[in-house]
Amino acid sequence: METLHIEATEETPEIILDAENNKFSISGKSLPEDSIAFYEPVFEWLKKFSEEAENDIDFEFSMEYFNTSSAKQIAKVFLLLEKLSDKVFVQIIWKYKKSDPDMMASGMRFSKLLSLEFELREEDC
Amino acid sequence: MGQKQTEREINELTLFEGLQREDLVYIYRGVFSQVITDSIIALTENNLDSVGESSKLKKRVFSIMVECLQNITRHQFIDGRENVTADQSGLFVVCNKDKAYQMTSGNVVNNDAIPHLKKLLDKVNSLDKDALKDYYKQVLEDGSISSKGGAGLGLIEMARKSGNKLFYTFEELDEEISYFYMNTSISQQLEEAPIDFIDIQDVVSLHKFILQKNIMLIFNGGLNQKSLIDILSLINEQAFGKLERKKKMYNVMVEMLQNVVKHGAKYDESRPGGSPVLFYIGQNGEEFSLNAGNYIENTCIEKVTSKIDLLNSLDNNELDDFYMKSLLDFDVDNSKEAGLGLVDLRMKSGHKITYELTPVNDTISFILMQVTI
Repeated sequence: METLHIEATEETPEIILDAENNKFSISGKSLPEDSIAFYEPVFEWLKKFSEEAENDIDFEFSMEYFNTSSAKQIAKVFLLLEKLSDKVFVQIIWKYKKSDPDMMASGMRFSKLLSLEFELREEDC
Repeated sequence: MGQKQTEREINELTLFEGLQREDLVYIYRGVFSQVITDSIIALTENNLDSVGESSKLKKRVFSIMVECLQNITRHQFIDGRENVTADQSGLFVVCNKDKAYQMTSGNVVNNDAIPHLKKLLDKVNSLDKDALKDYYKQVLEDGSISSKGGAGLGLIEMARKSGNKLFYTFEELDEEISYFYMNTSISQQLEEAPIDFIDIQDVVSLHKFILQKNIMLIFNGGLNQKSLIDILSLINEQAFGKLERKKKMYNVMVEMLQNVVKHGAKYDESRPGGSPVLFYIGQNGEEFSLNAGNYIENTCIEKVTSKIDLLNSLDNNELDDFYMKSLLDFDVDNSKEAGLGLVDLRMKSGHKITYELTPVNDTISFILMQVTI
């Protein structure tokens, strides 16, 4: 399956969806004006991937900041991953900086919402 | 509000109303660094683009703005004084008024430097276009450059490029230093006759008001996603104490400003550019307040205020529940609305969200929202 790689900008995160190398990550800032449009390709990719996925995956989130409209789209990504976890093992790794309790709290909140393997990983600044 | 604040009675609403007659007002008070001047320039560029100004005018505005900002950067500190108090910090104001882009810089000067500066300014102001050109050459050949790297060439350049006089005034701060205000204006119709008079006291009053309210930034202009990003980079440069607070301020600002980008109404729909917003940051002791004022359609008021009132009545656990419910409510999920903005503001701030409504006409009102961090 073709890799989806979106480079980071000042207002959008870097996205890597690479089935071949088993690398899945969303990292950086997310505050686009239209977050639905921005995350649309991610949903499309994940839906397609769900049909053919065979191996376990690690999905990494390393968010520096996301606005509320992105929060909703990230929730949708999680729901797709939850569905996927019926088929293959899905491990979520939610990275946050030690200095960023808000980001830790966001991770906790998402983890409570989901029946997914959810690891909160603190990183030094 | 309501009590007499300055001789000219400025308050948030009169400020906004006054600003509304102008397409763009941008005020920044504080320390000037490279990143800050860059983002001020980017903000103005974006605004001039969005209202469709000619590239010739834009170029002229920029070159003067760069001179202004360099002047402030260079002269923002007084030798031998370690701490810059609020009333001594640099000031930059750009506004579009009376069909001209008017830029005013403010910085401290040593009182003993004033006579020379006055002489230079009066000399520049007394010369016509051709005489300015000759004078420029003369100063250039003379090669007398001051210790701060200026030779008055900047002033001559500003007068030449703007085609207008440099209006100025000094306000004494103490026996050693004064505050120096200088205005340069560029007519929107480039070939128009020079502007006779600029009342620089307007800026002085405004400066007093923002000092009194501890405001460091006022942005009044068409707001779009691009200008939002520029304002954010400016905020990232500021010292707000703890990193955690800085992050919170950033988060809250994004939500407040995107709120205006998406829902703000316009007084005059035919006007180009984004939705007008009055945004300012004030400081009150240990706390910072983020304030966004914008027009709102009267038909939307009830929806917004009832939601704020509800959120204000909830405790932390209830807020958390409310957030979760809204997060998974995909009935409210479109490019304009996720239904999470206000609850996020309320949670991040830990304080009640305050708001003030003032009717403007049958269709719109002015809403000023304040979030404390």
